[in-house]
Amino acid sequence: MLSEIAIIVIRGVAIGALFSIIAMSFNIVHNATRILNFAQGNIFILGGFAAYFLADNAGLPIWLAMLLLASLVIAVLVAAQGWLTLLPLRGNTSEQDSWMISTVSVSVIIAAILMLLYGPFAYSVSGPVPAFRIFGVKTPGAFILAIAAMLGWYLLLSWFLRRTFTGLAISALSQDFDAARAAGLSVRRLQLLAFGISGVIAGSAGFMVAPIISVSPDAGLRYVLNGFIAAVVGGIGNNTGALIGGPLVGVMAMLMAYKVGGAYQDLASLIVLVVILMFWPQGLFGRATARRV
Amino acid sequence: MASQHNSLAEAAGPEVSLPAGKGHFKSDGLQLRLGILLIVLTGIGPSLLGNSYWEHTFQLVNIYIAVAVLQNFLFVDAGQKSFGQGAILGLGAYGLAIASGIHGLPLTVGVLAAVGAAMLGGLLFALPALRVQGFHLGFATLSAAIVFPQLLIQFDDVTRGINGISLYLPALTKPLVLGMSGLTLLVTAVPIAALLLHYGIRNARLGRRMRVAAESAEAARSLGVRPGFMRALAFMIVSAGTGICGALYVPTVGFISPQGFLVELSFTLFFVVVVGGRGQLLGPIIGIWVIYIVPNVLLVQLVEYRLLIYGFLTLAVVIVFPDGLVGTIEVRRRKRFQRGGGEQGFRLAPFTEMLEKIPPRQVPAEAAPILEVRGAVKRFGQVVALDGVDLKVRPGEVHGLIGANGSGKTSLLNVISGFSRMDGGSYSFRGRDVTRLSASSIARMGLGRTFQTPRIFTDLSVWDNIQLGLDARPTPLAPEMAALAERFKEAYGEDNPGLLAHGQRRLLEVIRVVFADPGLVLFDEPAAGLSPAERVEFSRLLRQLSKRLGMAVILVEHDLDLVWDIADRITVLETGSVVASGPPQQLARDPAVQHLFVGGAHA
Repeated sequence: MLSEIAIIVIRGVAIGALFSIIAMSFNIVHNATRILNFAQGNIFILGGFAAYFLADNAGLPIWLAMLLLASLVIAVLVAAQGWLTLLPLRGNTSEQDSWMISTVSVSVIIAAILMLLYGPFAYSVSGPVPAFRIFGVKTPGAFILAIAAMLGWYLLLSWFLRRTFTGLAISALSQDFDAARAAGLSVRRLQLLAFGISGVIAGSAGFMVAPIISVSPDAGLRYVLNGFIAAVVGGIGNNTGALIGGPLVGVMAMLMAYKVGGAYQDLASLIVLVVILMFWPQGLFGRATARRV
Repeated sequence: MASQHNSLAEAAGPEVSLPAGKGHFKSDGLQLRLGILLIVLTGIGPSLLGNSYWEHTFQLVNIYIAVAVLQNFLFVDAGQKSFGQGAILGLGAYGLAIASGIHGLPLTVGVLAAVGAAMLGGLLFALPALRVQGFHLGFATLSAAIVFPQLLIQFDDVTRGINGISLYLPALTKPLVLGMSGLTLLVTAVPIAALLLHYGIRNARLGRRMRVAAESAEAARSLGVRPGFMRALAFMIVSAGTGICGALYVPTVGFISPQGFLVELSFTLFFVVVVGGRGQLLGPIIGIWVIYIVPNVLLVQLVEYRLLIYGFLTLAVVIVFPDGLVGTIEVRRRKRFQRGGGEQGFRLAPFTEMLEKIPPRQVPAEAAPILEVRGAVKRFGQVVALDGVDLKVRPGEVHGLIGANGSGKTSLLNVISGFSRMDGGSYSFRGRDVTRLSASSIARMGLGRTFQTPRIFTDLSVWDNIQLGLDARPTPLAPEMAALAERFKEAYGEDNPGLLAHGQRRLLEVIRVVFADPGLVLFDEPAAGLSPAERVEFSRLLRQLSKRLGMAVILVEHDLDLVWDIADRITVLETGSVVASGPPQQLARDPAVQHLFVGGAHA
């Protein structure tokens, strides 16, 4: 019994770590632009595909080199997506219609391309971290990698957003575009940078955890949804909230899978999302950015 | 045409300069007729020609058109983006198929089951819509679209899983007249009904109020509209209609399975609306032609690339022609035939002149205050914006509220209108404690306001912008006011508010709120940006509002001359506290506020 609970918690936290990472990649773009990139899940899956084609069964040095390469390429792609998304907005990024349409269509485009190239199959990938045993149950090494990546990105982002000039400038954007512009920041460049960073976060995470996710063209939607739920639970824009929200959602999903079967996981996500939006629309931990008065 | 438009301006003043040529602000009527024509042609045309392939194709296309029309309404008129309409359609289809196909219940029960199932699904979107909007709902609807086919497979004892359900209704597909079957007539009638519904709601009070809620929640609340309720209502209306489409889907296709309602369908319907032109009545029909018919029917060899094409097409549209195909044409048409604006674009004079003919309304000197604020406290973090403010306003009184920037004037207005909650103190309006009431409830009790940035809706004509005030009115108009409203309608019915100068927009907002018949109006810097002539017009109107209609007014204004001239009483705020309050003459002698007027005419 105890071991079962332990397994649920470990797996839940690890899966939740992925949601948390996606939530953080949402947050940096949202804070810089007010945009939520609906394609973030497919960008994450793109990382998984990169792992399959570049580093399946590879040794650690190759794996690391390919991780770096894949992250950079994905970062450039996402920055380009950001450029396209911001193109019709001209400074007023509160106009939701436009960016919702463009990010959703990019999401559909990525999935359609993957489907045309690789078919509707799930690819299995093996990573460099060996499996280990917890309470006698074999657990893939990527679980540890997922949790490490979540903590690593959290610390790195906290440092970046509070201690570097560029990071502070991005944080300033989350308060007020006009003030930031007036203070001489080049808003558009910072926003593209934020898109790029979100690409690195989601892409590298997808690459690292490829062994434990379903690397298939239709999996992206599920991750973007759960990432969004983690972001909403933690309060959109709030990375500390995401750090807690992700594992919370992950453990809940695992518990659900254990009690009523894995087939209902998406239904559980939907119900959690609807309930959260109805009762705690600002998230359980509130917003990180100051509310406008 | 021009002379008709000028009648009002002539009554108000001699000089007239208006664009010649007839203008139509909107082409909704034309688009409606064209849309119906297209649906009829494709709906019954193939049957008349006896082409059963095209007949069958267009039956399904017409159902998709109806669903997309409803989604279009949801998208623009209610402002909500849904990625889950395919799932709602599926719920309707499965409702009928399970009730009538599996359990053999009568078709009427089946249709009710279809609508019921679809509305139950819609509730999943409508309930969160009470609290949130925009991308939040986008994710909730997307989530439903993903879950729906999974559930169909999971609950296969109810839905027969991937085996699907067949249901043929020979009575419906048998030719009735001229080779047209009952089904053909139905699938032609339903999209037309959807289009008429969209047109009807859009041009009714409900549609206008929904639109305002979608575009500016603040303006909506100030007019007594609850935005969350409007969003939820829109989702429910659309779900019910989509449920009917789902019921029709079953006999049209003859077989349903989870494969028919994958998330791709929801995306496709969404793309149809965007490519066709968001908010254009004809948009979804053109969108279906481009997105669905061309790749699925004419270029069958491209079927595999369908989603990729849709994605690129939509991305291209949103970047290059953000208004969509029909929308781009409509924007050019509107520009070409626009009218309104100019110096006579909007004037208060006719309204004020009408008011001056009404006998003055005497407010008894001892009348109970219409508004009483007691010890209002408002904090923003460390900053104390209001620090125990008391304020009494009598019916029919013009009450000036002055003070330096940051002294708490706008904070006080926001608290009174219910937009922000007091942290301490209480207030009553019309004798009732309203401290905890929502902004929309307070507005419905007869409190109106304007905003520092006027909330003018550029997709509505100048007259429709005024009509929003009438829509918020609890009682019918008095005959002379109704006659005036009629004149406004004639004069401004086709005018483009985008052409109005800033000052005119302000005055337009003022007339709107006055037509809503409030007992108390809060004007937030109404004279900012007005020309000297407009300023005179405005103060003349303000006086008549209080004298003839008995409206109380709170006037926040930096133009002290204006306040001095028309206010019955003035309250001076300084860093969140009242430093003086009384009639202007008395204030002029008050040493506490003299510095405000130093150097001015009243020192």
